[in-house]
Amino acid sequence: MLLIRCPYCEETLPEMEFTYAGEAHIVRPENPSDMSDEAWRDFLFIRSNVKGPHFERWRHSHGCARFFNAVRDTVSDRFLTTYKAGEPRPDLASLLSAAGQSESEK
Amino acid sequence: MTNFRVPGRGRVQHGKPVTFTFDSKTFRGLEGDTVASALLANGVHLMGRSFKYHRPRGPVSAGSEEPNALVGTRRGKGQFEPNTRATVQEIWNGLQVNSQNKYPSLKFDIGAVNDRAYMLFSAGFYYKTFMWPKSFWDKVYEPFIRSAAGLGVSPSEPDPDHYASRYLHTDVLVVGAGPAGLAAARSAASAGLRVTLVDENAEAGGTLLSEPQVEINGQPAWTWLASELAELEKLGVRIMTRTTAIGYYHQNMVGLCQKLTDHLKTPDAATPRERLWRVRAGQVILAQGALEKPLVFDGNDRPGVMLAGAAQTYLNRYGVRVGSRAVVATSHDSAWYAAFDLAEAGTFVEAIVDTRQEPRSDLVTEAKRRGITVLAGYTVTGTSGRLRVSSVRVNKVQNGKVLEAETLTCDCLLMCGGWTPSLHLFSHTKGSLQWDPEAQTFLPDRKTEDCQIAGAGRGLWGIEAALTDGRDMGAACAKALGKSPAVASVSVGNDRPGTGVSHTELPTDLNPGKARAFVDYQNDVTAKDLRLAVREGMRSIEHVKRYTTNGMATDQGKMSNINGLNIAADALGKPQPQVGLTTFRPPYTPTTFGALAGYHRGDHFEVTRKTPIDGWAEAHGAVFEPVSQWRRAWYFPKPGEDMEEAVSRECRATRASLGIFDASTLGKIEVVGPDAVEFMNRMYTNPWTKLAPGRTRYGLLLGDDGFIRDDGVIGRLTNDRFHITTTTGGAARVLNMMEDYLQTEWPDLKVWLTSTTEQWSTIALNGPNARNLLEPFVEGLDLSDEAFPHMSIAECTVAGFPSRLFRVSFTGELGFEVNVPARYGRALWEKLFEAGQKYDICPYGTETMHVLRAEKGYIIVGQDTDGTVTPYDAGQGWAVGKTKPDFVGKRGLARPDLAAEGRKQLVGLLTKDGKTKLEEGAQIVFDPNQPIPMKMVGHVTSSYHSVAAGRPIAMALVEGGYSRMGETVYIPMPFGTVEATITGTVFYDPEGERLKL
Amino acid sequence: MTAHINLSQAGVLAKSLAASVTLLEPVARFSLRTGAAGQAKLSAALGLTLPTKVGQRTQAGQTEVLCLGPDEWMLHTSESLAGTILQACESVYADAPHSLTEISDREVTVRIEGPKASELLTLGCPRDLDKLPVGEARRTVFDGATIILWRDAAETYRIDVWRSFAPHLISLLQTGCGELAAE
Repeated sequence: MLLIRCPYCEETLPEMEFTYAGEAHIVRPENPSDMSDEAWRDFLFIRSNVKGPHFERWRHSHGCARFFNAVRDTVSDRFLTTYKAGEPRPDLASLLSAAGQSESEK
Repeated sequence: MTNFRVPGRGRVQHGKPVTFTFDSKTFRGLEGDTVASALLANGVHLMGRSFKYHRPRGPVSAGSEEPNALVGTRRGKGQFEPNTRATVQEIWNGLQVNSQNKYPSLKFDIGAVNDRAYMLFSAGFYYKTFMWPKSFWDKVYEPFIRSAAGLGVSPSEPDPDHYASRYLHTDVLVVGAGPAGLAAARSAASAGLRVTLVDENAEAGGTLLSEPQVEINGQPAWTWLASELAELEKLGVRIMTRTTAIGYYHQNMVGLCQKLTDHLKTPDAATPRERLWRVRAGQVILAQGALEKPLVFDGNDRPGVMLAGAAQTYLNRYGVRVGSRAVVATSHDSAWYAAFDLAEAGTFVEAIVDTRQEPRSDLVTEAKRRGITVLAGYTVTGTSGRLRVSSVRVNKVQNGKVLEAETLTCDCLLMCGGWTPSLHLFSHTKGSLQWDPEAQTFLPDRKTEDCQIAGAGRGLWGIEAALTDGRDMGAACAKALGKSPAVASVSVGNDRPGTGVSHTELPTDLNPGKARAFVDYQNDVTAKDLRLAVREGMRSIEHVKRYTTNGMATDQGKMSNINGLNIAADALGKPQPQVGLTTFRPPYTPTTFGALAGYHRGDHFEVTRKTPIDGWAEAHGAVFEPVSQWRRAWYFPKPGEDMEEAVSRECRATRASLGIFDASTLGKIEVVGPDAVEFMNRMYTNPWTKLAPGRTRYGLLLGDDGFIRDDGVIGRLTNDRFHITTTTGGAARVLNMMEDYLQTEWPDLKVWLTSTTEQWSTIALNGPNARNLLEPFVEGLDLSDEAFPHMSIAECTVAGFPSRLFRVSFTGELGFEVNVPARYGRALWEKLFEAGQKYDICPYGTETMHVLRAEKGYIIVGQDTDGTVTPYDAGQGWAVGKTKPDFVGKRGLARPDLAAEGRKQLVGLLTKDGKTKLEEGAQIVFDPNQPIPMKMVGHVTSSYHSVAAGRPIAMALVEGGYSRMGETVYIPMPFGTVEATITGTVFYDPEGERLKL
Repeated sequence: MTAHINLSQAGVLAKSLAASVTLLEPVARFSLRTGAAGQAKLSAALGLTLPTKVGQRTQAGQTEVLCLGPDEWMLHTSESLAGTILQACESVYADAPHSLTEISDREVTVRIEGPKASELLTLGCPRDLDKLPVGEARRTVFDGATIILWRDAAETYRIDVWRSFAPHLISLLQTGCGELAAE
């Protein structure tokens, strides 16, 4: 069971309060009807499925009920950061160097 | 019977005898004994038979790592547990213990014939033997494997015990209450932190319990231990004994299994047998110590052969000499002290056999002072004795050559092949290990968690080293948590530090191919098996493990892994770190299903949601069915009625006059805000702008992929307020989906959602007399068809209760759904039921509801749809607002595959004989004579016997169904092929006249 | 199947030396949702300040407000004041659009108190209760059911839980009261 920091509650809390909600930063197009079949297919189904830092969404479903974004390493299962929905993608390089620092302190 | 108890010795209560039975024979032990220590005190070493060869076995250890002495324990009716380690189970008056893997008796076991045939059972035996002929699988091989497989016998009665679980948050969790753990807990607690100290043993102390000669800070070990524990308690440390850390998970989550009652004759009824703790710790200190390794030589499994450290524990902790004539065979200094302690207690030590040419001189001097023969530079090449060791064969080794054998008489052989740091929990975290060439073992290296390893767990030896290291690691954890610990100095007297060397199997002058030199006792894996595996091509240690099953038994290779690795590495001609270690996995020791299930059994297995009217239904004989987490009244049988009769009667009564139905489980969402209508337009397929307040509409919800997700009737209460209903099972999912769109795609919309599912209790009245019943109860509303037509909603009072009243029908009859605040649900139901007597009101359940709606062709999402069905496939195209610029699923519906010809479409099916009721889920084919496998073109989604139609009716998804009206399809069933005709889905009142009453 | 627990009868459901569990009398409950723009006007209309940090509470007379999320509040008040709340919010709807939805019957409240009240909650709540200050509250989870956990004193809590989950939750609390007392 992981610990997840909710960017709205500003608390680090047990995973049991949260629900995973898929890859992050996939924006529903303004006018879906204008999209080609291929573009719409990609929006619906094509996901990055990364091994390593993954931008993803969670919902604090048994808490403040907000959807938010996170960067989680799919290999170590560690969260590099969480941030509010609508905020821009954080810079991965600086997240990784910060994480590396805290690892080496162990 | 010889008594091996040493008066006054150990931590057992010499004045408190305890009697228990082993294989129906009564034995006497003392309070504080384990089954193993009590039997050893009675001179009994033979406690079980081995798994594969049924060889006689006795305990080799004194702890939870025990591979041999597995017994069945019975505490009462249904309270039988197989594979209990006799070295762990505490005794109490009346405990029943049985040996395992033997028939007819432990001393004479027919299965021991396997031992003679051991050549057949070598590594990879299963892979080599059970290969052909194919026809042998069912009749010969499988029955053989099934009867031979498994350790012990499964319990056959329900477990009457109860189990518990808790969450625990602690700043520092210390695993292991030996010297290192105690010192770590003290440091952390002194810094004012929340500290939890756990130990799997019945009491804290670890090695100190086996080494009473030690002096700590001028106090005898046990005096120091008592005062230290009192001090820890004073500092608020939570100390839990009989508590095993079974798994170490992400972010310092550690699972603990606490045994609460297995050591008690009459536990308190409110006390659970075991409790699972889910601990979240800021810092974890692993102070689990080290496990002693056996030496690998022919006959090293004979009862009476045990680890020297175990013998020392039996003597010093339990006051039991494990024999009266001992030979000690060792490659490590520690066993020498065991020999000295035993000699002092009156056991004759025949010899200390050390594999090293030059053992430590002070130890040799000490041995000689005691008159003990020292055989340095020797190997052990065999043992004899049928059910107990009676002699040991040893040989001098000179320049790598094994010289002539000597035979030493004994009744116990105490061995020590060095010590392995217990790294199981550390390995659960994927922490990396580093091979220490000097200690010939793996030590913890890179950590992935906020943890420290203290004491023997990281290769340190001796009490002083453990205390100092524990203290410092505790302090390090406190500092990591931002606290300043108090650190005191430690002085230790009579410490027994030492070193040793590590071996593969010991050299022998006999044919090594015939040696029964066991590496893994529990799975009966020998050194020869490991070498054979390498010879047969296994290169990875993971393959060697699986081929031989070394380390795969319930003890998880606690004693066998390093010996196995040394032998495999030698056979492969590679250094150990290049061969590597297999992965340790949770649980650390076998854990009951009860502990893992905790409270979730019986009545508390899972949440069972009940409506406010559930109690009435139960009192009126309803049969219930689970619908998602709810239990719902399924049907209300009268005495003597079966389900079909009851449902037919309920259907008939509702269509003839009046039925009453508890619809409280329907999901309800209140949508409020200036942008409510815009939100509705975007979410649902239907247009909502023109829906006037006071009116309702059937709403269809899709995913963006274009497939149906949910449906329900939605009322507009005011311009800015909608009352959505969802399916029972879809309530939470739909709200989640709507919140998702609202929060992440359309945060600009001024509209908010609130679940009101449980605010309202919903009573559905259906039938031609529905209005007649309801009208007298309603205030503030004209119920006439003109004033309150079909698909209306209003707020009013019903029987004096505030109400939201829908005119709606899911049966095809005149219908109303009365929503009242949940607390009034049952009262209203009872009033309506009483007043309804004059209309022969009939309570009906979900089955009748299903039949009535199917007669009208109303779909049930999740039954007639399966996540790949579009509104057009389901005949709901009319509900799609084609002129709206966008809604969730609009673009999806235009995907080429969703608009293609030949999709499966929802149609009606009538069986040609007019009698056969199709099976829901049955597959449909166009040509029943085609070869198998046939091409399946659809399946039956709903099927009932219809009273109104006077025959069975069904709905089905069939390829191109709409263009096949009147055609025949075939449903192959085990009893024969059923023919059916494709029809429309409305089987009753196609014009909808009955809704307009 | 969970045991029968009569939710229409307030009173003690379990009591031991460790803790007691009491079903409280009904209160009027509202879910209030609004964006940042509407908060000041709604506060003024309600005669209190809507707290803005998740988990914080304020009280004005018989009305208690808890911030559950950035745009969500739970209001508890006496049943006699329910109409006043509805009117107060309605009066500012045009300027401060919001959703006020009555949910008085959606949930029930049990009070847990006694020397081991906190320990009792650890049977089902994965949160670290030492980090829940007295005078605050959180929405969280207890044995699979969403709850709102109010900490009123060091060893006094209230749990709001949806009505249909209450029997499941209460039966575990009853088991726990006995289990803790036996320790």
